[in-house]
Amino acid sequence: MKTSATDLELAIQMDEAARVAHELRLKRDRQERNGRILKHIFLIIVSCVMLYPLFWLLASSFKPENEIFGSLTLWPSEFQFENYTKGWYALPMSFTVFYVNSAIVTGLSVIGNLVSCSFAAYAFARLNFTGRSFFFALMMMTLMIPYHVVLIPQYVQFLNLGWVDTYLPLVVPRFLASDAFFIFLMVQFFRQLPRELDEAAMIDGCSPFKIYWAIILPLSLPAMGTAAIFSLIWVWEDFLAPLIYLNDIKSYTVPLALRLFLDQEGQSAYGQMFAMSVLSLVPVVIFFVLFQKLIVRGIATSGMK
Amino acid sequence: MTKLTRRAVLSTIGAAAAASALPATPLFAADRTIRHYWWGNPERDKRTFAVIDTFQKKNAGIKVSGETIGWGDYWTKMATQTAGRNMADLVQMDYRFLFEYVHRGALKPLDEFVGKSLMIADFDKGPLDGGKVDGKLYALNIGSNSQVMVHNTRAFKEAGIDADLINWTWDDFGKVCEKITAKSGGKMKGSDDLSLMIETFESWVRQNGREFYGPEGKVTATAEDVAGWWQMWADLRKAGVVRDKNKTVILDPPIAESGIAVGDTAMSHYWSNQMVGIQAVAKDKIGAAMVPHKAGGKPGQFIKPSMFLSLSRDAKDTEAAIAYMNAWVNDPEITGILGLERGIPCSPKVRAALTPKLTEVEKLSVDYFTAIQSKVGPLPLPAPKGAGEVRDAFMRIGTDVVLGKAEVAEAAGMFIEDAQAIVERAQ
Amino acid sequence: MKRFFARNAPAYVFLLPWLIGFFLLALGPILASLYLSFTRYDMVSAPRWIGWGNYEYMFTRDRRFWKALEVTFTYVALAVPARLIMALGVAMLLDKGLRTIGLYRAIFYLPSLLGASIAIAILWRQLFAADGVVNQVLAMVGIQGASWITDPDTSLYTLVVLAMWQFGSPMLIFLAGLRGIPRDLYEAAEIDGTPRWRQFTRITLPLLAPVIFFNLVLQTIDSFKTFSSAFIISNGTGAPADSLLFYTVYLFNEAFKFFRMGYASALAWFLLVIIATFTAIAFFTSKYWVHYENERD
Repeated sequence: MKTSATDLELAIQMDEAARVAHELRLKRDRQERNGRILKHIFLIIVSCVMLYPLFWLLASSFKPENEIFGSLTLWPSEFQFENYTKGWYALPMSFTVFYVNSAIVTGLSVIGNLVSCSFAAYAFARLNFTGRSFFFALMMMTLMIPYHVVLIPQYVQFLNLGWVDTYLPLVVPRFLASDAFFIFLMVQFFRQLPRELDEAAMIDGCSPFKIYWAIILPLSLPAMGTAAIFSLIWVWEDFLAPLIYLNDIKSYTVPLALRLFLDQEGQSAYGQMFAMSVLSLVPVVIFFVLFQKLIVRGIATSGMK
Repeated sequence: MTKLTRRAVLSTIGAAAAASALPATPLFAADRTIRHYWWGNPERDKRTFAVIDTFQKKNAGIKVSGETIGWGDYWTKMATQTAGRNMADLVQMDYRFLFEYVHRGALKPLDEFVGKSLMIADFDKGPLDGGKVDGKLYALNIGSNSQVMVHNTRAFKEAGIDADLINWTWDDFGKVCEKITAKSGGKMKGSDDLSLMIETFESWVRQNGREFYGPEGKVTATAEDVAGWWQMWADLRKAGVVRDKNKTVILDPPIAESGIAVGDTAMSHYWSNQMVGIQAVAKDKIGAAMVPHKAGGKPGQFIKPSMFLSLSRDAKDTEAAIAYMNAWVNDPEITGILGLERGIPCSPKVRAALTPKLTEVEKLSVDYFTAIQSKVGPLPLPAPKGAGEVRDAFMRIGTDVVLGKAEVAEAAGMFIEDAQAIVERAQ
Repeated sequence: MKRFFARNAPAYVFLLPWLIGFFLLALGPILASLYLSFTRYDMVSAPRWIGWGNYEYMFTRDRRFWKALEVTFTYVALAVPARLIMALGVAMLLDKGLRTIGLYRAIFYLPSLLGASIAIAILWRQLFAADGVVNQVLAMVGIQGASWITDPDTSLYTLVVLAMWQFGSPMLIFLAGLRGIPRDLYEAAEIDGTPRWRQFTRITLPLLAPVIFFNLVLQTIDSFKTFSSAFIISNGTGAPADSLLFYTVYLFNEAFKFFRMGYASALAWFLLVIIATFTAIAFFTSKYWVHYENERD
């Protein structure tokens, strides 16, 4: 009889416990859901604030010229698509030409950056060699100089090489790891990978090149993806170097072409410029969305083990 | 990228051709190439490339490479090319920078070509002389303009303004501002606040009988001139008949942000060749008025060359370049394409040929130009080195006055001192 | 000798592109600009040696130099922390397994894409004008807003807000870094009952240190060199009343507007010294708070 009594007690207790646990879980779920809802609300508000200027840009690209600065209302009084259609052909070359040019320059530059900067970063991060700190400091120094003062000596240098009015000054430096930002970025990421991997590989007889190719690179996909995104966006939007080095309008890149729209003294075409600015963002956004997934996938297979 | 190698080959050919001792005979039977660099906008670029096409068709052996960018970046690139001794053969020049470049030896004089390959004998002398520095012609005037007070004709009609817009004085101006502001219930003010516009201030100084820069390139405007100018605008501000001060302190705004374009004032100060651009963004029809005169004073305005074409020191094939320049200002087909886009042409023949084809706004600018001929003064002396910086100082110190943070008299004195120091340092 | 090569050759091979780039392409212009800083050079005629003249003028007689330093330092002191905090905060929010993370990430990064465009400058002026949208919103909660962008006292803050608006770049980097922190650490802490805040300071921050360091250094360097936004918003003049006279804007005008490239070079080298000092300090103090996983120093 005693067992059945304790059994019953036990059953009641367990039931009690189960109920409590269930309630706790419900409460927790509710909290989490509320938390998530709050988070979403917050993010949505922030998103709206973040996006408002972009909406303004988009709206302005549909407005007739005299409304862009005159009225504060976001909504255009009439939708003018001709800013887009006219704008595409407004300049001496159609924007097709400019987009192709930008694609060439950007594509080459991104490849160049990824390859040369990862080489240099691997050396700085993983290999001990004489002069490492010295060269690292030199590299950092190139980051700190304001571009405008080396502009002219650099121009003269490229002029002497006969590279002016070609894409060479824009692309070649990228294959020579000229952008220290990416070297530094990759160094920071490489340093986080466990050294045991390197050591194990070395014991197996792998050369540094093999280690770089087979171990470091695959594990650094987040860094590579980030570098690719930044590289693409910055090169796509760079206009100072193209301004200085490109003379022939047929070779202009998109940001440079946008600058042909505005003239302080004469007639500007703001509506068309805005329309073209909006369009110039499209490839970048597409690339960004595509590459985002790469980062996510790379992390999912993160070889921290 | 055949582009890269083709360009390299072309430039080598060009260099080889130039290096040959016989300027007229190219080393190969290939094209001679000249480069033309100008600042532009979509409309101007379209016309200029059309001109290049036309010229190339008529001159089979010469290729013209057209290089252009907007005003904001034009001078940066120009400076870079100058430093690298890689300027285009023909560059578009502005009055503001002409003297800087001439004084530093970046441009070649044109006198040796005048009368032989550059036919400008019957051109208006005054506007042509604008391109002369130290007696030599360094820049060919490719369009003239003058200062203009662009006004909103609708607002003027509604307020019943009937002032003589060519001969009016600053007092008349003040009254007009009051009327406009009153009629619109304060929504539209009479005029933009011109405190910070040194170009208009220079007219004021001229009306007082002085030039801003004297013969030695020193600052000859006085603190009283400055104080008088800033005080007048301060009074207008107090009466509430000019544009809101917060808009005034935005410097060098684009045309589309001016009072007349946005619609919050009825008058803005510009150059006459900008009227086409202004009408494009203004909702109402615009009209042209002179800068108000000082009662009993000297004329303040002058006919200014709006832009020039110059031969750079790096030009190699000068013969081809001058041929191009000559066609630019004389060839009827080419001048027909260019129209009034860069300003009023110097050549009476060209002007006559253009008259039948003018648009309404263009006719307005030509009529205005004709009407002011007898009311303007002589072209002022060239600005010395440092003029750009003086302009910046004027706007900077004036901003404090506009915002009420500085007293007029004190600021005026400080500005004149600063200006003199700047000009001295720049020598 | 042979040992030297054996030990260093692989490294130098990897470093070769950078070495070529630096010594053949980058070094020349850098040294040239240093030389130019000791000259008077108007870009049209040949440079004229004047020794320390530029530097002397800079420190003893140039009022606007100190103004430019003041503006730039203020901006750096405000914009860098603001931007990093926003970036880290949003990154942490996004990191906790939201399904729509991709969308938000793109949204928050979009503003950074517009960076130096003229469109943004025009827009910013409109937004912060006396009758602009910002003041309209403030009016809804009863605050009378000033004319932010045209008042010399407040115009710099509008640029700080612009910097905060464009937090996308450091955010992306933080996100990548956060993803590298193993989940099981958090799970273990949960089980132990560690509060969220503690988790942040004990797990997130230390493991994120290398990335924080990276962002800190680079954002600082970048902020000192801020040019495009200030230039375009002030139409190249540093207006109103030099309140937006960023150091690089001043430098640019000296070089290209007033034909004083020699002086501008001197200004640039001084900026380099400032930035290098800050960076060096950051690197030296990083020993104390930045630990790379599994690294033996």
